[in-house]
Amino acid sequence: MQLSDRITGLFLAGLGLAAAWGGSRLPAVPGQDVGPAAFPMVIGGGLVLCGVMIAFGIGHSFEVPDEDAETGFRFRDLRVLVPPGLLLFYVLAVERLGFMLTAFFIVGTAAVALGARPRLALPLAVGAPIFIHAVFAKLLRVPLADGILPALW
Amino acid sequence: MTDFSRRAVLAGGAALLATPGLAQPRWPARPVQLLCPWAAGGGTDAVLRMIGILLEKELGQPFNVVNRTGGSGVVGHAAISQAQPDGYTLGMITAEICMLHWQGLTEITYRNYTPLSLVNNDAPGVTVNSNSPYRDVKALADAIKASRPGQLKASGTGQGGIWHLALAGWLNAMGLKADHVRWVPSNGAAPAMQDLAAGGLDFTTCSIPEARAMLDANRARALAVMAPARVTAFPAIPTLKEAMGVDYNTGAWRGIAGPPGLPAAVVQTMEVALDKVFKSKEYQDFLLARGFGAVYENAAGFATHLAAADISLGNSMKEAGLAKS
Amino acid sequence: MQDLFEGVRLVLAWDVLIAVLASAIYGLVVGSLPGLSATMATALLVPVTFYLSPIAAIATIITASAMAIFSGDIPGCLLRIPGTPASAAYTDEAYAMTRKGQAELALGAGLWFSAIGGIVGTISLVLMAPLLAEMALSFSTYEYFWLAFLGLMCATLVARSSPIKAIASMLLGLLFACIGMENPAGTPRFVFGITDLLGGIEPIPALVGVFAVSEVMRAMVTPEPPKLPDRKFGSILAGQWALTKKYQWPMWRGNIVGIIIGVLPGAGADMAAWVSYAMSKKWSKEPEKFGTGHVEGLVEAGASNNASLASGWVPALLFGIPGDTITAIAIGVLYMKGLNPGPTLFTERASSMYALYIIFVLANIIMIPLGILMIRLASKILKAPRSAVMPVIILLCAVGSYATGANLFSVLLVGVFGIVGYVMERNGYPVAALVLGIVMGSMVEQNFVTSLIKSDGSPLPFVERPVSAVLASLTLGALLWSAVVWVFNRARRLKATAAAR
Repeated sequence: MQLSDRITGLFLAGLGLAAAWGGSRLPAVPGQDVGPAAFPMVIGGGLVLCGVMIAFGIGHSFEVPDEDAETGFRFRDLRVLVPPGLLLFYVLAVERLGFMLTAFFIVGTAAVALGARPRLALPLAVGAPIFIHAVFAKLLRVPLADGILPALW
Repeated sequence: MTDFSRRAVLAGGAALLATPGLAQPRWPARPVQLLCPWAAGGGTDAVLRMIGILLEKELGQPFNVVNRTGGSGVVGHAAISQAQPDGYTLGMITAEICMLHWQGLTEITYRNYTPLSLVNNDAPGVTVNSNSPYRDVKALADAIKASRPGQLKASGTGQGGIWHLALAGWLNAMGLKADHVRWVPSNGAAPAMQDLAAGGLDFTTCSIPEARAMLDANRARALAVMAPARVTAFPAIPTLKEAMGVDYNTGAWRGIAGPPGLPAAVVQTMEVALDKVFKSKEYQDFLLARGFGAVYENAAGFATHLAAADISLGNSMKEAGLAKS
Repeated sequence: MQDLFEGVRLVLAWDVLIAVLASAIYGLVVGSLPGLSATMATALLVPVTFYLSPIAAIATIITASAMAIFSGDIPGCLLRIPGTPASAAYTDEAYAMTRKGQAELALGAGLWFSAIGGIVGTISLVLMAPLLAEMALSFSTYEYFWLAFLGLMCATLVARSSPIKAIASMLLGLLFACIGMENPAGTPRFVFGITDLLGGIEPIPALVGVFAVSEVMRAMVTPEPPKLPDRKFGSILAGQWALTKKYQWPMWRGNIVGIIIGVLPGAGADMAAWVSYAMSKKWSKEPEKFGTGHVEGLVEAGASNNASLASGWVPALLFGIPGDTITAIAIGVLYMKGLNPGPTLFTERASSMYALYIIFVLANIIMIPLGILMIRLASKILKAPRSAVMPVIILLCAVGSYATGANLFSVLLVGVFGIVGYVMERNGYPVAALVLGIVMGSMVEQNFVTSLIKSDGSPLPFVERPVSAVLASLTLGALLWSAVVWVFNRARRLKATAAAR
C-alpha cells in the first residue's frame, strides 16, 4: 500500500473538505453562539491545507526513506488483510461459536499465515485460547461467550 | 467416591423434581452482567458497584459491573434495553433516560425496560465560589434578576444535562427565561467545580455530593439545595423553599432495570433481593459516607416514578427550548 | 513526628503489606496485556477494597495503578504495542532499541526512571501539596486551552518524518475525536446513524489498532528478521546509574514537568510523557539520534510519566477533583473508607496521610525488583518465533478491547484502526501523532468552546489572565520559532544548491 504523496495528500484534502462541509451542516444549539460546527470546520480547513502541501511535496526532505520499501504488487501481499479479517471474524462468530472455537480458529489461521508448521500452529491454537480464557474470564471476570463449546471450568 | 457421586445424583434428581414445569435452573445460575452507562469513578458507577457486591452476597453469583459509556449515556442505556431478556444482563438507568428521547438522541424511552427498583436520588444544589459576593441564595437570585440575559454563567454538566435542566427549572420558577443565565457545558461535575474554584463561573448547579470536597476545602459555598427537604448528610444547607420561598425541586435518580420481557422469576427474585440490599446496613452506610440521597421504590413504584419523571422532565425541556420539536 | 511513626505503624500491618504485594503483581500482569488499561485494573479492584481496612484499600489502588502504568511500557518496547496512550509517545524509540538488541537497557531505563519519577513526585506531594493545589486551581478553561494546544504541538517533534505529515496525522486524530456526541454542544457528529459511534472513538481501541494490529499486518508481508544474537545481559540495573549521571539534567526536567502537568486535572499523565519527550528532543545535544533507539528521551519521558501519576493525587486529595479515571475511582474508595478528601485529611488525619506517602514510596521501591523479574520473563518473548507470538497478539487485541466495555464494536474499531495505521505507516505518516490527536481532541474543543461561551465570544480573556498570558506567549513563541528556523534552513539549503550549480 505504498502510495505517492500526491495521492495521500489529495485524499486528506478531500477528507478535510468533506469534514468541513459535514460540520457546516450541523444544527446550531439554542442559547449558544458557538455550536458543534466550529471545530470540525477548523480541522477540515487544516487538513485541506496540509493535504495540498503534502501533494506538492513540501516538507518531503525531512523524511527518512523506508528501508523495506518495495514496489509493485504481488498477490501474496493480500495476506496483509488477514489480521483485520480475523478481527472481523471474531465480531461475527464469537456469539455463535463461543470464545474457545473462535479463538482456536483465529490463532491457527494467523500462525499458518505467518508460516508456522502444524507442529507449532496446532498446540498454539489449542493452548493460547485456554490460557487467555483463564486470565480474562476468571481473573478479570470478562464475560466471554460460551457458544457451542463452553470452557471446561 | 461412589458414595459421594450417588448422593450427587440423588440431590440432582431431587432438584429436578422440585423444579416445576420446564427444567430451568434457578436464576441466577451463572454470573450476571450489570451495565453502567457512565464511566468508572463516577457516582452511578460507585452506586452500581456497591449494589453488585451486595447482590452477589444475597444471590450467590457474581454481579459484574461493566461500564458501557459514551454519548451522554445513550450507548449504555441502549445496550441495557437491547440485551437478551434472560436476566443475565441488567443495568442501571438514570434520569437521562427520560431526557434523551426528548432531545431526539434516541428512540428508547423508559417503556423499553423492565423496571426493578429505584435506589438513589441526588438533588441539585446552588454552589458559588467562596469569594463570591452572594452570601445566600436570595442575594444570588436578586443578582440574576438584575443581570442582563446571558451575563451570568453557570455550569455543572453538559448541554441539556440534568443539572442544566435544574437551572432552567429554577429560573422558570423565578419567572425568568430558561436561558437568562448562560449555561457553560462541561464534561461532568468535577471540571465544573474546578472552573468555579478557578473563578471562571458564577455558580454551579451540580449535586451537593459532587460539590462536597470543594465545600469541605472552603473553596466553594453551597447556598441551597433543590429538594423538598434538607439532605440527611448535609443538614446545614437550606432548601430553596426555606431560603427564598421558591418551591422547585428535581434530582438525578438512579435505578436498576432490565430489558423488556424479563422472566417473572427474575423480577421477583431481584425485587426481594434489592429490597434487602437497599435496607442493608452496608448500603445505607455507603450512601451516607458518599452523601448520596437514599430514596427507594420497588418495581411497581419505580414504574410509576418513571412515567411521572418522563412527563415532568419533558415539560421542563420544552420550556427550556432543549427538546426537539 | 508522632504522626509519622503512627503512619509507619499503619503501613507495617500484615494486611497492608500483603495487599501491596498482591496488587503489585496484579497490576504488573494486567498492565502488560495489550488493550487493558490501568483504569480497568483499578476499577476491578474496587469490589476487593470493600473487604479491606482503609489503608490497605488505598494501598491496593496506589500500587496497582503505578505498576500497571510501568508494565504498559513492556509490550510497547518488546512488540511495539503501547499499553497506555502515555507510552505511545516513546514506543517507537523503545522498539528501535529492542531491534538494536538493547531491549533490557530500554526496559531497565523505563523501570529505573519510572521509580525515580514516582518517588520525586511523592516528595513533591509531601512538601508542596497546598502550593501545587493552588496552582491547579488557577487553571480555568482558557489556560487549559493553551496547555492542550502546546500538547498538540508536540506531535511535530516526536515524529521522524515530515512535520507536515505529522500535523496532518494529528489533525486526522482530532477529526476522529469529533465523532460522537461528547462535544460541548452534545450534538451527534459524524455518527452515520450508528448508535455505537455516539460514544465516540476511545483512545484504547485506536491505540491497539494502529500499533498492534498494524504490526501484525506488517509481519504478514515482511520476512522474519534475523534472530538477535543471544547476548548475555548483565544486571539490568548496572547501566542505570551511569545513565542517571549522564542524563541528570533531562531527568530532573522530566520530573518537574511531570509534577506540574500531573497536578492539572484532566491533563494528567497522558500529556506529561509527550511534552517531556518533545522537550528532551528539543534540548538534546544529539537530537538527530532520536527515533533511532536513543535512550535519552526514555529517561526524561519515563520520569515525567510517573512523577505526574503521583502529583495527580494532589487535587484529588485536597479537593476531591479527579485528575483521571484512576484517581476518580480512588476518591470513591477514600469516601467509602471515611478518609474524605479535603484539607482536613492533611491535618486531622495526618497519620493516614503519612501512611499514604509511605505506600507511594514503597510501591515505587518494590516496583524495581518485581519489574526486573517481569522484564526477565517478558524478554523471553523475543526468543520465540514470530509465527507463535503474533497470533496470540491478535487474539489479545480482540479480547482486550472487548473487555473494557463488553462491546464487540470496539473489536471492529481495532480492526479498522489496524488498516488505517498500516496505510499511514507505509506512507510516512506517524501513527503516534494520530493517537495524540485522538487523546487530546475533546480537551482542546471543550476548553476552546466553553472559553468562548464564557467570554461571550471575545478572544481577550485568552491572553488577559496572568497564567493564560504566559502560556499563550509560550505557545505562539514556539510556533513562530519553528517557522523561522524552517524558513532559515530552507533558504540556506537553496543557496547551497545554487552555489553548487
